[in-house]
Amino acid sequence: MKIFIKGLGTTNRKIMIAVYLWLINSAFSALIVAPLYFMFKGDFSRSLMGEKLLKGSDLLWLGDLLYKHRNNWPSLLGSLIVTSFLFLLLYIFLNGGILGSITSQEKKVCFSSFFSDCGKYFWRFLRVFLISIVSYAIIFLLLGKAISSLLKIWTKSASTEWPLILSSNLKFLLFILLFSLVRMFFDYVRIRLVVEKSRKAIRATLLTFSFLKKRFWKAWSLYLTIALISIFFLVIFLAVSSHFPGVMNLFLFSILWQQVYVFSRMWTKVLFFSTEFHLFIS
Amino acid sequence: MRRKRPKRLLILLMGLLASNFLILSSLSAAENLKYEIWVKLDNQEKMLHGKERLFWSNKTSDEIKEIWFHLYYNAFKNEKSTLMQEAREQGRFLGLEVGDGEWGWIEVTEIKLADGRDLKPSMEFITPDEPLHPDDQTVMRVILPEPLMPGKGVELELEFQAKIPKGILRSGYYKDSYFISQWFPKPGVYEEGKGWNCHEYHLNSEFYADFADFTVHITVPENFVVGASGKMIEAARNKEEKAMTYTFYQENIHDFAWTADPRFLKIERDFIASKEITEEEYTEIAHRLGLPVAEVRLNDVRMILLIEPEHKVQIERHFKALKAAIKYYGLWYGPYPYETITMVDPPFRTGSGGMEYPTLFTAGTGIIRNERVLSPEGVIVHEYGHGYWYGLCANNEFEEAWLDEGINSYSESKVLEKAYGKDVLSFSINRIPLACFLRLPEYFGYELDRALAIHVVKIDPIMTESWKFMNRASYTLNVYMRAETCLHTLERVVGEDMMLRILRTFQTRFRFKHPRTEDFIAVVNEVTGRDFTWFFDELFFRTLDFDYGLSSLVCEKKPTHWRGVFDFEGRKEELTKKEIRDMEKKERKEKRGEKEKDLYITRLMARRFGEARIGQDLRLKLKVVFEDGSEEIREWDGQERWELFVFEKNSPVLYAQLDPETIWLIDSNLTNNSIRRNPSRGGILKLTSRVFFWIQNLLQTISGWS
Repeated sequence: MKIFIKGLGTTNRKIMIAVYLWLINSAFSALIVAPLYFMFKGDFSRSLMGEKLLKGSDLLWLGDLLYKHRNNWPSLLGSLIVTSFLFLLLYIFLNGGILGSITSQEKKVCFSSFFSDCGKYFWRFLRVFLISIVSYAIIFLLLGKAISSLLKIWTKSASTEWPLILSSNLKFLLFILLFSLVRMFFDYVRIRLVVEKSRKAIRATLLTFSFLKKRFWKAWSLYLTIALISIFFLVIFLAVSSHFPGVMNLFLFSILWQQVYVFSRMWTKVLFFSTEFHLFIS
Repeated sequence: MRRKRPKRLLILLMGLLASNFLILSSLSAAENLKYEIWVKLDNQEKMLHGKERLFWSNKTSDEIKEIWFHLYYNAFKNEKSTLMQEAREQGRFLGLEVGDGEWGWIEVTEIKLADGRDLKPSMEFITPDEPLHPDDQTVMRVILPEPLMPGKGVELELEFQAKIPKGILRSGYYKDSYFISQWFPKPGVYEEGKGWNCHEYHLNSEFYADFADFTVHITVPENFVVGASGKMIEAARNKEEKAMTYTFYQENIHDFAWTADPRFLKIERDFIASKEITEEEYTEIAHRLGLPVAEVRLNDVRMILLIEPEHKVQIERHFKALKAAIKYYGLWYGPYPYETITMVDPPFRTGSGGMEYPTLFTAGTGIIRNERVLSPEGVIVHEYGHGYWYGLCANNEFEEAWLDEGINSYSESKVLEKAYGKDVLSFSINRIPLACFLRLPEYFGYELDRALAIHVVKIDPIMTESWKFMNRASYTLNVYMRAETCLHTLERVVGEDMMLRILRTFQTRFRFKHPRTEDFIAVVNEVTGRDFTWFFDELFFRTLDFDYGLSSLVCEKKPTHWRGVFDFEGRKEELTKKEIRDMEKKERKEKRGEKEKDLYITRLMARRFGEARIGQDLRLKLKVVFEDGSEEIREWDGQERWELFVFEKNSPVLYAQLDPETIWLIDSNLTNNSIRRNPSRGGILKLTSRVFFWIQNLLQTISGWS
């Protein structure tokens, strides 16, 4: 609990980290969405069908849109995949700024120091990312395959749909938990590199094993608590969103509310690192 | 003595010939084909042991020398069957993979005439379709010892055994659960002057057979619950074998399917017409159809539901949907003519969901369902509806699938709209409907189907033989969605009541017959009193894209003065820009205080972008709205590639709409049917902001891997 409160305090004091992340995410998203905006403009701005866009999803205009651009969707999807990969690289870069700012003695976060830390830690974090890819591959390909095979034995002889529902959801839950474990592990690897001012990613990885061996349940329960907070935000967002009427005068409010939710995701990310940092140094 | 022997032999020979002739002709009085089938289910070996007595009569003026049979189960016999080869060619082999020991087949072990003459020596497999799959065994032929004369009948006795495949394509078993369809030797349809219409079992086709009276005795282990086409008339126990024999009977159906599962819950209820339909509803529909009320009244129907125990919370949903289907199909298209309807929640993993058979259909649902999503309602209404089209107007589903699938998709969407309103887009993750957590878009069936239909216009015409479509997607999107969308369009062109009359006439006129597309077109022309042949030529028989739109809208103030050189009193004088400006300035000063009455010229270009054209007696409506609130309506015959419309008004134009009521739903681009003078961005910004939000979340999720 103390660690959590400390982490919460750090996250809120250094709220600018979340603001920077939100700004960067928004800028990147805007770059991806810009061509789509012009595509929509070309298709709908002079058509009365554009008014239907205000009323939400309608299969008449959606059908037209999908048909008209049916040859473009593969290339759009390809672009999305490439830009997503670039964003992933960008976040490896930004992780340095997040952790550098959290671990810094400075009470406030400034733009220049944030980006200075991004550059400072980038190559180390890239090496950590590559190691983590291997871990994800082992977990999901090998372990995941084993889990799937076991569950298949159960579902192969199923007489009703229940085993299929339970096994697919259990598999999903297991993968989420495994993913969270691996992610948590490598968070501590990064924290170690920053706190110890080390460049040795493999050494930091090995030391994290012994660190978590002693504090595994504490670390994981902390991690899952924050994950639950993140899910809580999602539930609140969905619950409030479902009561929005699709009219123009609430349009700005709905955009604002969406951005509040996106910001909450950035804030939660910072909270993860903050609490992990405080557990690491405790 | 010698002289007498040849004479006796001759008399004997003549007697034999005469007796054979008599046997072949003694059943001429039979109106219908008649089947009596005894079948025993061997639950251990997954086999059917059957005996079939068949009365077949020649209702044509041809002499028939042979009989062709469908042996559909042989499609699952090996990888060389037509169906499996087509699956492989279309890349669906994996989807239809059969494990070792899971194949299905049927073998006719005996076939003879009632007088004992064996037809088996003449029995051979044939492959009448192109492209050739010579190893297919789904069509069998036997040669009759003498030709069957017109109006005469023949009685055949067959014995067969069939290995039930493991849950594949509409039929099969899984553990002790069975769905048995296309399981008995079934003659094709003999067409006068053309011969046997008896196609191989193709991947992308369904079935075609003659109407018959069926009596089927089904023997199963005693703990099995059985459902079948028709009405159960007897149930007999065999204590020694611990078996039950159920006898089902139904007249005037062209197929017989059955199911057996010890897990079924069987619930029977009655559709009582007097309780489900009010007098006002009868009066209203009678008026719309132009019929006396007595002719639109419905019968009571016994509804039988066989449902898996894990779905029992959905019993009420099943019956509610079935009642709506019986009611609206009955009111609109004619009373359901049978006593019973059996609705089957298909046994798990038997591959038999969402399929229709006369007086029986399979639906299909899941354990977790959302109230707002019309599942299983959609499939229940759809499969029941097939009973009207494929079931009663028994079109050839091999050659003209749309006559059933397209008409039924159209009528299903009408029933669902009437009974339930809009559906909700349904997606599931891990078998849990997302509608449980998210507010998903609502839609009418025809909207979704149109969105899909426009994708296949350039691939195949709707009127393509089922197995000759480019692939499964083209078959499905053409015969279901595109045909449905065309019918919705036809409804909008002729009016809803007229469309009701068309379909009711088609249904009642062709019940218990085999209509073709030309019959449907003839009914449309007759009922409407107009020639709609062009409609079907353009949209069903050809791959023509239908797309009318507006390509440009220009509005400018009409000049009061013109630049250039003019002849004035014998000399040439130039009017320059500056002089015009000065003149206009002076005129404005003089007219100050008066209400300005500038004249605007609007030029609107209407285009035919697609190849399909509307009929020459029809017109496309063009509506032009001006800023002062006034409207102009024009018409365009749509025959040429473009037409320019010019308007002079005291107000600038606001927007123009071609086909403002969206009558031409089949139009592949409804967005270009309207054009505004000034662009509007509100909707675009909203859509873009939504996409922006999704991209933000996607990127943030991806960042979790960093």
